Amino acid sequence: MTSKDNDGSERKSSRVSTDDLYRRSTQFKLWSFTKDELETIRKSSNEKGKTYANAKFDKVYERIKAEQTDIFSKYGGAELSKNVLVDLITLQEERKYLNFYSKNIIQAANFFQMPTQVKASAMAFFKRFYLFNSVMQYHPKYVLYTCLFLAAKSENYFISINSFCEPLQKTEPKDVLDLEFIVLQSLKFTIMVHHPFRPLYGFFLDFQEVLLQPSPASSDITIDKIGQLYDQAKKWLNDHGLISDVSFFYTPPQIALAAMYDSNPRITEKYLRRKFLKDKEPLNTIKEEEPDGVDAQQKDSLPPKGTEVFDLLVKTIRKCVEDSKTSQESTLEESTKIGEKCFFANNPEKLINKKIKKLKKLEAQEQESPQEAKV
Amino acid sequence: MTEVNELKYSKERKVGEGTYAVVYLGKQMKTKRSIAIKEIKTGLFKDGLDMSAIREVKYLQELKHLNVIELIDVFSSANNLNLVLEFLPCDLEVLIKDQSIIFKPSDIKSWLLMTLRGVHHCHRNFILHRDLKPNNLLIAPDGQLKIADFGLARSLGNPNEDLSPMVVTRWYRAPELLFGAKHYTYAVDIWAVGIIFAELMLRIPYLPGKDDVDQLDVTFRALGTPTESNWPNVSSLPLYNALKVYPPPSRQEIRLRFSAATEKALDLLMSMTQLDPSNRCDSTSALLHEYFLELPKHTTPAQLPKKGGVQEDESSKRRKL
Repeated sequence: MTSKDNDGSERKSSRVSTDDLYRRSTQFKLWSFTKDELETIRKSSNEKGKTYANAKFDKVYERIKAEQTDIFSKYGGAELSKNVLVDLITLQEERKYLNFYSKNIIQAANFFQMPTQVKASAMAFFKRFYLFNSVMQYHPKYVLYTCLFLAAKSENYFISINSFCEPLQKTEPKDVLDLEFIVLQSLKFTIMVHHPFRPLYGFFLDFQEVLLQPSPASSDITIDKIGQLYDQAKKWLNDHGLISDVSFFYTPPQIALAAMYDSNPRITEKYLRRKFLKDKEPLNTIKEEEPDGVDAQQKDSLPPKGTEVFDLLVKTIRKCVEDSKTSQESTLEESTKIGEKCFFANNPEKLINKKIKKLKKLEAQEQESPQEAKV
Repeated sequence: MTEVNELKYSKERKVGEGTYAVVYLGKQMKTKRSIAIKEIKTGLFKDGLDMSAIREVKYLQELKHLNVIELIDVFSSANNLNLVLEFLPCDLEVLIKDQSIIFKPSDIKSWLLMTLRGVHHCHRNFILHRDLKPNNLLIAPDGQLKIADFGLARSLGNPNEDLSPMVVTRWYRAPELLFGAKHYTYAVDIWAVGIIFAELMLRIPYLPGKDDVDQLDVTFRALGTPTESNWPNVSSLPLYNALKVYPPPSRQEIRLRFSAATEKALDLLMSMTQLDPSNRCDSTSALLHEYFLELPKHTTPAQLPKKGGVQEDESSKRRKL
């Protein structure tokens, strides 16, 4: 971007646009993906998690097997065989479970009355962490608190570890702090997160400028109406923007516009028309046909026209709205079941011992009433 | 960024130790490039990773600019956080204090220009530095000036958020901070740059207050006491007091203070040190100021005076923590 002058000093040869600045951010360089990329990464992390859980299981299994030869010689091929015991979490389940936990971040952040910025960064940390890690390696319960604690520090909302842990159930400072470094490392030491809330506020101001100045675009567009739209859009960002994957696919201003568009498509579209099509309303007027051939070649070299920008933007925004609503919902029962699997994947010893205990209990019952057991 | 890779860098010797970090000099093995490794102690603090360390990593990861210190890599070793930074052997404070060096007006212009370029890049990215001072303006072997130490930096954006007025080293602290303002802007950095500009011309600190109270006195004796007439609503700031009302200095008085400065240099200086932050110029208008267009042209970085031939200065490195 800079070139050496002949006297050796740097001189700018081209201007750096605001878009360029975003493209240089770690959010764009490291944390923006296509859908396929995201899917591939998640798949491989789930596999990594399974491998990890299997290895962990094997180690414990062999140890217990050596310690309790009796019961294993009896059931080792059946009830206590590895195939029967191990039930790992699938990619689909992992997604659902994380979605369930994401909501806990919002609850926890609200409980501590933390600013939106902290909540949103914690959510970004959590989602980014589980792109490259699996719930079978790190249980989301503590990861979520660590993300929140780290986000609070990163966003200048410091809270001491003791006041943080005090209201949390069964959570010791050590549980949160031990993961801090691991989380930071998984975040590739990048902690600046750009959220859609600030651009949303910018649009709120610009909507007033564009739609109300010098006179309202239409009689029903008032400052109150725009204020209402702003509030709805903020709620939308909290409900849909934070939890879904849109932050991996779209830029913050695109998400902010999606929030406004989904809250009030009419006003938002009006704004975009005025902004990008200047005052060419009404749009429906028939455009003159360009003479054949003359323009065909030039077209590519011309800067994109207002209409092209407008069309692309509306398409992008609509897609973003759609993507924001495809998050992995799960019922409470489902989450509980996945939670159990997650617990045992992280604690294979407990899984095996539970089974042994159950088998022993059954045996004891058999001995008490052998006839019945034979039936 | 690589995760764990101690082998990529050598740690040759320890050059300093601070409350939360140890600094080593070393080399990047592949390129033989000189680097500084700032090893941040973790697990030492009750509340986990230190806020300054978090800020430094957060902002330096985003800011890539010729006039901002380069964070080359981050890696972990035995649960320590290591920041690999470019090696910068000198800083502006060392040069200012070195009586054997003569500053030409074009040299001062060059350092100020590079400082403003770096500051402009921070501000463009919505980042406030909040600790600009000669000691934090490091000099690369090729003469380029680099802004360092982002331990107090923060993003600016949400107007509802309170900011701490306890920032910036005292002598470079803007009047709104001295008055305890909880809301302030990029103008606090511009003030600091203005004071540094003055120090470059004077070769001694411009407003060296002995303590926070004295800082108010020193500042206003030099630049006049802010009042409602030259700074509307100043009296509503938490720590405002106008016990002694000093008149603002006349242009002639300023000329006498900076006898070697041109009129345009004084214009820029005064524009950066306006008492009312809303009257202070921003980094863009400072960069576009006529001072940078008039002759003499700024010295090219390579031709700037250097610390008397000495490659690296240990005492200065030690203070750089």
